[in-house]
Amino acid sequence: MIALSDIKVVFGRGTPLEKQALNGISLTIEEGSFVTVIGSNGAGKSTLLGVLAGDVIATSGQVRIGTADVTRQGTAARAGRVARVFQDPLAGSCGALSIEENLALAARRGERRGLAPALGARRRELFRARIAELNLGLENRMGDRMDLLSGGQRQAVSLVMATLAGSDVLLLDEHTAALDPGMAEFIMSLTQKIVSERRLTTLMVTHSMRQALDYGHRTIMLHGGEIVLDVTGDSRKTLQVEDLIAMFRKMRGQTLDDDALLIG
Amino acid sequence: MSGIAFWGAVELGLVYAFVAIGVYLAFRVLDFPDLTVDGSFPLGAAVAAVLIIAGVNPWLASAVAMLAGAAAGLVTAMLNVRFRILNLLASILTMIALFSVNLRVMGKPNVALINADTMLSPFFGLGLRDFYVRPLFIGVLVVVALFLVWRFLESDAGLSMRATGANARMARAQGVDTDRQIYLGIALSNALVALGGALFAQTNGFADVTSGVGTIVVGLAAVIIGETLFGTRGILVALIGCVLGSILYRIAIQLALSSDVLGLQASDLNLVTAVLVTVALVLPRLRRGGAAS
Repeated sequence: MIALSDIKVVFGRGTPLEKQALNGISLTIEEGSFVTVIGSNGAGKSTLLGVLAGDVIATSGQVRIGTADVTRQGTAARAGRVARVFQDPLAGSCGALSIEENLALAARRGERRGLAPALGARRRELFRARIAELNLGLENRMGDRMDLLSGGQRQAVSLVMATLAGSDVLLLDEHTAALDPGMAEFIMSLTQKIVSERRLTTLMVTHSMRQALDYGHRTIMLHGGEIVLDVTGDSRKTLQVEDLIAMFRKMRGQTLDDDALLIG
Repeated sequence: MSGIAFWGAVELGLVYAFVAIGVYLAFRVLDFPDLTVDGSFPLGAAVAAVLIIAGVNPWLASAVAMLAGAAAGLVTAMLNVRFRILNLLASILTMIALFSVNLRVMGKPNVALINADTMLSPFFGLGLRDFYVRPLFIGVLVVVALFLVWRFLESDAGLSMRATGANARMARAQGVDTDRQIYLGIALSNALVALGGALFAQTNGFADVTSGVGTIVVGLAAVIIGETLFGTRGILVALIGCVLGSILYRIAIQLALSSDVLGLQASDLNLVTAVLVTVALVLPRLRRGGAAS
């Protein structure tokens, strides 16, 4: 479960560049729920994800993940609760390490790391089996360096990495944005499969309105650091991409009006 | 080159193999350009020499020298992690501070160890000539250090250190405290370099405050020669490359200086070093260019 209460984030406080990135967000996501998040550039999507991951510490408000209050915890401290796949395929794994070493690193996410060999026979077998499920033929290349893989292959491995250790929430940060359409579709169906099989509490930020409506149980639209749309159930089923676009247009129009008022 | 000169070069190469492994940890594993080694090498020599002269067991003295090196590394790491000073600059600050520290430790610019009992003393006079005993003894220590560093880097803990150098953001997302890894890695690196310094003092019979000048270049030369000749596939290969690179570097220097044809003198050492490192850096590129055409 995720519970955000009245989260405010201000960047560059007290400077001329002060920016209110999140403006009092309250959001509760139930256990096992799959939520998609959309919004234009600068709406606060990345900041919201950062607040959950620990990259951004909220200026005020409270963040609860699972049973714990993690408001003040940094990324590394809450890593045991948060699994994550980045937008940039290069960001989520170590290019200089082999596929199986990356998996070994992820298998102990948020746990103490001792001096036992990272790649014992049992672990190797487990990793091989999990990678074989991808049907990409990567199970025969476990010792290859990660930077020999294509962007799509790296995202697929990143998804497996995200599920090797237990977590309270899975964060997906536009994780198909950098891929070609075919690979993006493959990664999305893989995501769907993993999320439903493991009943993961998932928050997916996306640029694609199609994805936002096709996947998950609930869709949230952010604008100006606030939640402006929160649909679920039947009202979400009848919602079309065109409706979302119309709403986007309306939001943009509103800001224009505001600016006009300021100038006037 | 005579047999004695050859084994002398091997011995010096093995002493500097500790420096090479330390430099590999900082530069390659952590991606942290650490010049502290120019200060921590003579620090190790100074601490070991002074303690041995004071009658301390040479093994214990060498262990204390390692701790001193680790402490120097921690200072560099703290300047970088805690006070956000650029890593290269942080290490230069520690390096020049150590010059004064080393003078304080010894009380004078150099200390002689001629008649003192060193780690090697018990092994002399067992039948082997001295110039075989020294490289053999240090070689055993190098193998032990190489094995331990290899097992560490392939453990869960070592993997988080490697991830810190390769992709710090990803490492944090996996729950790795990257700041702690920098402290640990730079301390370990400088402890190994200081052990090299302690062994240098014990095999050469003196500790000198200027003996650290250019340590970083020698260490890097060994790492680069190793990578050029043996490649970078796998940790074990890279570590063995460091050791062999260090030995080959010393043999190449010895050959260059002792060949009458080239007419080089001992004072040309730094020039020869720079040329050797340049060749080692350029060679792989030329080879790749040749394969492509």
